[in-house]
Amino acid sequence: MSPALLLAVPVLGAFVLPSLHRASPFASRVAGPLILVVQVALVAALWQQAVVHGPLVIELGGLPAPMGIAWQADQLGLLWCGALALLALVLWPREGHDPNRAATLTLLLVGAGSGLALSADLFNLFVLYELTALASFGLVVSQGTGAQAAATLRFLLLGATGSALALLGIALIYAATGTLNLAQLAQVTPGAMSDPLVLTAFALLLAGLGVKAELFPLNTWVPEVYGAASPRVAGLLAGAVSKLALLVVLRLLTTIFADTGAAMVLLGVAAVTVLAGELAAYRAQDLRRMLAYSSIGQLGLMALAFSVSNPTGIAAGLALGLHHLLVKPALFVMIADWPRRRPQTRGLAAGAPWSAAAFVLLALSLVGVPPLPGFWAKLVLLQALLGTGGGPYAAAAALVLVITVVEAGYLIPLARQLYSGEPAVRVRARIGRGVPLILALLLAVVLIGPVAQRLDQVASSVPGPATALPRLSASEPGQP
Amino acid sequence: MTLLDGLLLLSLITAVAMAWLGARAWAGWLGAGLYAGQLALLAGLPMPASSAVSFAVLGHTLHWQMGALGWFFALILVAAALLATWYAAGAWRRTYPRRRLLHVTVALNVLAMLILLASGDLLSLFVGWELATWSGYLILTQAGGPAERASLRYLVYTLAGGMAVFAGVVLVDVQVGSLQLADLRAAVPELSAGSLWLLVLLFTAGFGIKMAFVPFHLWQAEAYAETPGPVTAFVSAISARMGLFAMAVVLIQLIGPQHLTALQVPFTFLDAQGLLAWIAAITAIVPTFIALTQSDARMLLAWHGIGQGGYMLLGLMAGSALGAAGGLMHVFNHATYQAGLFLAVAAVIYRTGTSDLDRLGGLISRMPLSFITMLIGIIGLAGLPPTNGFVSKWMIYKALLNGEQPLLFIAAVIATLGTILSVYKLIHNTFLGQLRVEHHAVQEVPWSMRLPMLITALVVMVTGVTPGLVLDAVAPALEAIGLAAPAYHLGGLTTGNGNLDMVWVGGALTFGLAVGLAVFLLGSPSQRTHQWDNYAGGHFLSADIRFHYSHDFYPGLMRALAPAYRGSVRWLEAGLVTLVELAASAFQGLYRAAPLPAYLVVGVVLLLWWIQAS
Repeated sequence: MSPALLLAVPVLGAFVLPSLHRASPFASRVAGPLILVVQVALVAALWQQAVVHGPLVIELGGLPAPMGIAWQADQLGLLWCGALALLALVLWPREGHDPNRAATLTLLLVGAGSGLALSADLFNLFVLYELTALASFGLVVSQGTGAQAAATLRFLLLGATGSALALLGIALIYAATGTLNLAQLAQVTPGAMSDPLVLTAFALLLAGLGVKAELFPLNTWVPEVYGAASPRVAGLLAGAVSKLALLVVLRLLTTIFADTGAAMVLLGVAAVTVLAGELAAYRAQDLRRMLAYSSIGQLGLMALAFSVSNPTGIAAGLALGLHHLLVKPALFVMIADWPRRRPQTRGLAAGAPWSAAAFVLLALSLVGVPPLPGFWAKLVLLQALLGTGGGPYAAAAALVLVITVVEAGYLIPLARQLYSGEPAVRVRARIGRGVPLILALLLAVVLIGPVAQRLDQVASSVPGPATALPRLSASEPGQP
Repeated sequence: MTLLDGLLLLSLITAVAMAWLGARAWAGWLGAGLYAGQLALLAGLPMPASSAVSFAVLGHTLHWQMGALGWFFALILVAAALLATWYAAGAWRRTYPRRRLLHVTVALNVLAMLILLASGDLLSLFVGWELATWSGYLILTQAGGPAERASLRYLVYTLAGGMAVFAGVVLVDVQVGSLQLADLRAAVPELSAGSLWLLVLLFTAGFGIKMAFVPFHLWQAEAYAETPGPVTAFVSAISARMGLFAMAVVLIQLIGPQHLTALQVPFTFLDAQGLLAWIAAITAIVPTFIALTQSDARMLLAWHGIGQGGYMLLGLMAGSALGAAGGLMHVFNHATYQAGLFLAVAAVIYRTGTSDLDRLGGLISRMPLSFITMLIGIIGLAGLPPTNGFVSKWMIYKALLNGEQPLLFIAAVIATLGTILSVYKLIHNTFLGQLRVEHHAVQEVPWSMRLPMLITALVVMVTGVTPGLVLDAVAPALEAIGLAAPAYHLGGLTTGNGNLDMVWVGGALTFGLAVGLAVFLLGSPSQRTHQWDNYAGGHFLSADIRFHYSHDFYPGLMRALAPAYRGSVRWLEAGLVTLVELAASAFQGLYRAAPLPAYLVVGVVLLLWWIQAS
């Protein structure tokens, strides 16, 4: 089975869906989720293969590495493909303004995102990154309000600038090495590129990828877009898409930029991101913006973990990412019915007891209260940072601890406020789409041992520079 | 399932039962019964008691085991919960609308603290610590209003402490490669002085914040004082002592006094143990003198709770078996008299609606049993014979003198002086002097409240005369953390250079009082004056003029001490909060800045120029 299917199935679905809608609206409503279910099944099948046989490398078009378009179906990429598809399924657009268009764009996003997670060369990465960005621009404006249009325009400008910079970075690398295949680059780069050049290329790529990955200072679009977009879309972008961009950064860091100063650059950027996101969230009065800022902070934590880039660090990043993938979309869809201003949520629990209780649970997990999963994720992060040793990593660990207090400083008063006094207006709020995410979170509390073991296994299977060139020949089992 | 599992399960059942039935009229009685059951299970627990439950996660195994030290604290914990719930079960419950929440929070706190006290490794210790912290937030925040703000302060402080502990735990994991207690104990001699210092500081700060050691003392008094009625007695008796338990485990059982004394503070004569002793001594002094300025009974007592915590650590860090025994024993003694004091204050609030020391007075004629409870309580708090507070403080003083620490001894005496002054203010302003007009109809509280109160007073007296009863529990606790126990008997202790036998002390006191009473009764004829008769230092006041001196107590002393109350720690705290606010608004302002793409292009040009140049 080819990993390219993970790109092809949803993208083809996205092409077919609008015409199908014209022929039979019912069929198109069923077809979308069905395609995602198929996608999940494909991921599961490929996952089995990857666990048994190791990462699967495919060159599309049959040409060998430097020329062909390489795909790499390793556990890391497949994990995110699966997470993306499942999250899209949970947040599938059923109602609202023009659900069919949103459905098409969601499928496109899933396809492009999966491709992004599995790409093994820079060219693919760039193209699919752009495709992902386009799909998410479309999703943000899908309700067509003025605020959405304005937010998207800014997002677009920033994204375009970032992409141009990333392209420049890719050009630098290509000019110096003559290849865009990640595995090859990993072996060629140390000799071919000087230190400043390597760092510049990384900085440029980071400038491009950082837009989606919500890294400082490229995340100025985040509060506006998440505040304006529908909660579903905000959940999807914050929950999965941002992490895909960070995943690409990790791929670059473990291959091309292994053993360079790039990890330190990422560490610095990530530390400022954490600080900026959480501190801005501390002051935010608008609930959605608060969640948006908090998402920046969480992405920063994930980037901190990835900057360690040994198996413990990668495992920590994956744990943080998966945790955030469950928590943040649940929060976004849950507060959709709430008043938007912070002070107006006083006494909300009287009318919406379940919604308030779920908020408390999610807030506690974000802060990292044992035995909730957020605690274990932070534990692994600290193990990774302090285990690496050295001043910068220890400082980052201290930052994580301090910022946890800040995090509690804005989430817990809000949670407390939900239970104090009688509200002026009784708000009825449902948890809605958040239910499966919260159930998954609770399940993770019980299954934390096996989950941690599996994440460790995924993290240690990530190919490093030495092992990044497993099978360059085109003779793959099950290759088309 | 072991007996320990049974205890934890019963504790969980208590919490569930309170969540389900807590609003019923008889919920308090049910709760008290369940705590009595927990107490019975606790009494039958073998030492050390292991749990059959364990979790393997991330290469660590979390398991639970309660040793004699944990058992000692657990005994105080469950007994305090029993008495507080009993107190709340009867007539008192009608004064508080959110009874279910009250019962649930107490039950959750008992459960969380039992889990903490039964932790068998560092990871389960941290998990238990966090559970206790968060359930503590619930119990402190439940009353709403001022409690909401005070409890948030508690949360920020203790969470910061929790993060310090977290860092310590992960550092141990990284450096030792294991979180099992035995492995850390074995690895301590190999750790470098620097990393040992780091661990000591992280754990001390983390656990010390729960005990509200100076300079982290600001949060506790208000947070505790704002809890409803008997809950104040419960939290003051035990909650903060979790910090001492954890410190005893990590600093003494795991790191060990011999390694603490080997750590020198640069440029001073102090070692780590001396540093901790001085922090403890300052904590004994500063909050006690802050207590002296309070005009609310609950705030006054809560500030004393912090100061007495200083005595406990001072004993533990005195560096001898006697001192450590005194420190641990003070945990029990303090819990008993402090609970009695808070229950007496709750009784006053129940009848008069206030604990404002400027609006009370003369209640002795109306509430004599509450008065006796408070009297015995303040004698204990001040550390005077024949109460149990005297015994533990005697041991701590003796240990300081034997350990040739005269300065620490003087510090402890200064703190005791402040205590005596302020507890006199407490009992005078509440029970002595003239009764206020609006309190003429006040009666003693009902029996459901009297009994728990009187039981605490009885325990204070009985364990004061026979401290051997408490030392029976303290001695195995000391041995469990690797310290020797001093030689003791039922009536007191025998040390190399001085003995204490409270049976004799108590007997002599009783005899003296009896002689005094006899002289009083048989001697010169006495005149009985009415409570409202005035004596105003020569000024003539007739009985119809109310005169009860309570506001601005000790004016001369307060004027003399005024320069000392600078509130520098308050300034520090406010400054820190302002700093975070400023940084936050700076970052938020950054997110409003629009022309980011332009900056990016400039940045890239600079980068390319840098490559060109290098």
